[in-house]
Amino acid sequence: MSVSRSRATNLHRAERKTLFAFLFLYSIFSIIILAFLAFIYYNLQKDLMLEGQTNRLQEDSFLLISKLKYLHEHFEEEQVYPRFENFRSAIYDSSKKLIFTTLKEESVNLDKTLYSVNDNIHYIRLLESYYLGTMYVVIEISDDGVWLNFVKTEVIAYGTILFLIFLFVGYYLLKLMLRPMRNTLSFLDRFIKDTTHELNTPVTAILTNIEMIDQKKLDPIVAKKIRRIDIASRTISNIYKDLTFTALGNKVISKDESIDLYKLLSERIEYFKIIALSKNIEFITSLKRNVFIYIDRTKMTRVIDNLLSNAIKYNKKAGYIKVTLEDGYIEIEDGGIGISQKDIDAVFDRFSRFNSSEGGFGLGLNIVKSILDEYGIKIKFISKVNKGTKVRVYWEKL
Amino acid sequence: MGKIINIIFLLSFLGMKIQGFAKENIYEENCMRCHKQMSLGMQKIFMRYLLKYSSEMPVKSAIIDFLKNPNYFTSALRKDQIARYGLKTKTTLTDEELEKAVDIYWEKYKIFGKLK
Repeated sequence: MSVSRSRATNLHRAERKTLFAFLFLYSIFSIIILAFLAFIYYNLQKDLMLEGQTNRLQEDSFLLISKLKYLHEHFEEEQVYPRFENFRSAIYDSSKKLIFTTLKEESVNLDKTLYSVNDNIHYIRLLESYYLGTMYVVIEISDDGVWLNFVKTEVIAYGTILFLIFLFVGYYLLKLMLRPMRNTLSFLDRFIKDTTHELNTPVTAILTNIEMIDQKKLDPIVAKKIRRIDIASRTISNIYKDLTFTALGNKVISKDESIDLYKLLSERIEYFKIIALSKNIEFITSLKRNVFIYIDRTKMTRVIDNLLSNAIKYNKKAGYIKVTLEDGYIEIEDGGIGISQKDIDAVFDRFSRFNSSEGGFGLGLNIVKSILDEYGIKIKFISKVNKGTKVRVYWEKL
Repeated sequence: MGKIINIIFLLSFLGMKIQGFAKENIYEENCMRCHKQMSLGMQKIFMRYLLKYSSEMPVKSAIIDFLKNPNYFTSALRKDQIARYGLKTKTTLTDEELEKAVDIYWEKYKIFGKLK
């Protein structure tokens, strides 16, 4: 099968997740602040532009009023409303009823003095002498939009610069806040590395020496004790490998190769049989030959070992473990204590354990998930409390 | 049957027309008669009211107030015009008739729809 591997990163996963979540919220917050500032700036610029037009609009209104005065005095002879090239106008009586208009924009707000609406600027002037009954004179000129383009350019340019500064400051602050967490994690990593390094030599020595002992020649009672030591050593060895993977997993370069799963599964079942025997657990196997997968051998071994180890750990005494290998999947089923539905979602969390009476660090399934995710392989849990658990690891067939 | 309906329709139409003439008569009889004699232009007086009161309701209200209680302060005429023509006497019309006459006056001289 062909599978892709995710990119390695120096940042710890939890730290990276926190960083992204924080930056996402921080960015939204920054955008809201910037939008608010842009809105204030836009309104200020608009007011400035309108102020700049005031003199001209006042002059236009004087011109119109003088024409209205003339028209009022000569209404019997002259009834043509004055029109101008530079501006448009409208007149309203004291009840805000329209007397006449040449405006482009229909909506007029007589309660304001100066405002812009749909690319037009309106200036409202109140008359003291109501020529032709006019109380409100509206002068309209077109807004060329030059100021708006200027404001847009400024808002985009300064907004982007400010946003980047905000983002940089946010990132720096977060790094500062996460420093204690990073230090703790580094300490934990160092501790695990040191511990595992110190464990390696004695565990290897015990296992090698037990293998060299010819148990047939031993007294049955001594042989039983040796088997117990063997089981304990293998358990320690398994924990050691998990810890090593957790501490160094991201930094170890994978050596992917085509793995014969029949051989690997048989080998690992054989390895765990001794541990399973301590609880009288029986292995039932149905392994198809010639099923291959392209993966790093050590990583696939960690996946199988952890699933088998869990199947033994959470099994009942004299229980069973059924291992099935078919094209595209491995299935490991046990008749153990099972997991409740609400706990299934948390099985892959680091340091999560579902039975405090059993040993372990709660690293196993987290390691399994991280390896499978790296290769795009899927895993599914089906479990019933007190009935058992079925774990299926499946991938696309070649 | 059809004839009866036609007669009713004709009578109603005539009734409306007569009512219209009666309305016009209130204005013509009670306002225009004197103003014509004195050559005091109704349009000019209207424009004076408009200059001071702007919209329909205040204009009508000011005219009615003046007609009910004519005095130097509420008159739309200039001082020299008052000296020349004198103040008019109090109206003898009822409130309803007065309102009708002023409505006709407003409709005749209002600015709305006249500007081009």
